[in-house]
Amino acid sequence: MVTAAFQISLAYYIVAVLDPYIVSWQCLNRPIVVAPIAGLILGDFTTGIIMGAALESIFMGISAIGGSIPADATTSSIIAVAFTILTGANIEAGLALALPIGTVMASLVGLLTPLFAGVAAYWEKLALECKPKKFLIQNLLFSCLTAPLINAVILFAAVAYGVEGLSAFLASLPAWVMVGLGAASGMMLAVGFAILTSMIWNKEVGCFFFLGYVFVKYLGLNTLAIAIIGIVIAITMFFTEKRIIDLKNSLTNKTVSNNEEDFF
Amino acid sequence: MEKKILSTEEKKVLRSMFFRSHLVFLSFNMVKMEANGFTATMAPAIESIYKDDMEGKKEAYLRHQNFFNTHAVPFSFIAGLAYAMEKEHKEKNSIDGQTIDSIKAALMGPTAGMFDSLFFNCLRIIAAGIGIGLCSQGNILGTIIFILMYGVSQSVFKYFFVNWGYTYGTTFIDSVFSSGLMGALTKSASVLGLMMVGAMTAQMVNVPLNWTLNVGQTSVVVADVINSIFPGLLGVLLLFLLVSLIKKGARPTQLIIGIFVFALLGGFIGIF
Repeated sequence: MVTAAFQISLAYYIVAVLDPYIVSWQCLNRPIVVAPIAGLILGDFTTGIIMGAALESIFMGISAIGGSIPADATTSSIIAVAFTILTGANIEAGLALALPIGTVMASLVGLLTPLFAGVAAYWEKLALECKPKKFLIQNLLFSCLTAPLINAVILFAAVAYGVEGLSAFLASLPAWVMVGLGAASGMMLAVGFAILTSMIWNKEVGCFFFLGYVFVKYLGLNTLAIAIIGIVIAITMFFTEKRIIDLKNSLTNKTVSNNEEDFF
Repeated sequence: MEKKILSTEEKKVLRSMFFRSHLVFLSFNMVKMEANGFTATMAPAIESIYKDDMEGKKEAYLRHQNFFNTHAVPFSFIAGLAYAMEKEHKEKNSIDGQTIDSIKAALMGPTAGMFDSLFFNCLRIIAAGIGIGLCSQGNILGTIIFILMYGVSQSVFKYFFVNWGYTYGTTFIDSVFSSGLMGALTKSASVLGLMMVGAMTAQMVNVPLNWTLNVGQTSVVVADVINSIFPGLLGVLLLFLLVSLIKKGARPTQLIIGIFVFALLGGFIGIF
């Protein structure tokens, strides 16, 4: 268990430094990427991939609202996969635990935020020294040695010593708890999608939500097909809007010139 | 739009800026956000423009230590534009330092909004949707497609954007903003994003009601009745309940805890 925990924390550390700090895609640290990696390390690649799909949908909409991220997708996905594979638990239990674990992890990192802010004045002084190499290296070291390293240590402890305790604890609970956890994992997904919906929603385009919904529930189309239909609609809409804007611009130009004629 | 022809040195600086523009979140903090990433990206440009002019150099470094925050892709466009502006500032003095600051500040909000709706709320959802579809069947290709569509694509855009920012400069901004096409683009991206969110809600959100009403001799499976009215009605209702709670200012963590408690209660009284 300790060896597995070490390998998994090392893999986490590499990913966490690469993204966001080195490539800034916010892509490699997504559950759909880290869960398969964790599965591969722990010897059950397929479970990792399948859990990656489910975890990605749980965390898809979980993003920062008002500056703080409600749940850390990366670490909690790894812990959920480790829990499922190492204890042989069923996937649903692992999935249901992911969000609560993520919330705890995010609040731990949240404790560090004041520290990062406190260093801001130092960076300004460093930049004024006009030594770009020194500036870059110190910034890189600071980024690599704070959040990713602390998270990796917590992750190591959680996987090495927490997983078995968690499993024993869950096994001692009555059956309805597991039923409840299973139900929670299906409904938790709605939180992420609700955040996304509330971000994109406005009266004019809101109805398109239901178009996507009906495509799946009544027509049974798959995601790629819906994406293509969506792109067609979006392009049509863009050019219609463009025509309206062009028309509006030419109209206002005319009125402006008319006014000028009246004025003189 | 006027296009400049780039010298070898300019090309070298732009290439270096392209690589460094991946350091957006370098020492990210809530005070100045992406300022360190921006300073690191601007360093090759500042070194190449100011050379021995220590005063100008200091001013420029300090300028780009100001608060900065936008999406990671237009970040490189604004960096390219800032390179062009710094160069004019030094060579012709036609742009003063404050103008550079205010143009940067003016671009943050609109570019962040536009690219969040293009990349974060649209391309990412599509990439994840396709990836999830493949991965849920145990196919690793889903992960690879996700990385290519959402990750690598950002670098491709960054490469072009840093160059466009430098060559087209402010003329480009003027034409995009004044034409009002930004709004149209954001709107079409929102349509696409919402359709994908709707589709994925239908595929994944599940309220596993397992409740049978016994009325005298007959028993009614509640979930079947509800689904015959509208498939997955409970999931949609749950989603829009959560949306309205978010609009009222509920925090996601509260919603997560709420659902957890509700699910456990439901498990206890036996409706799930």
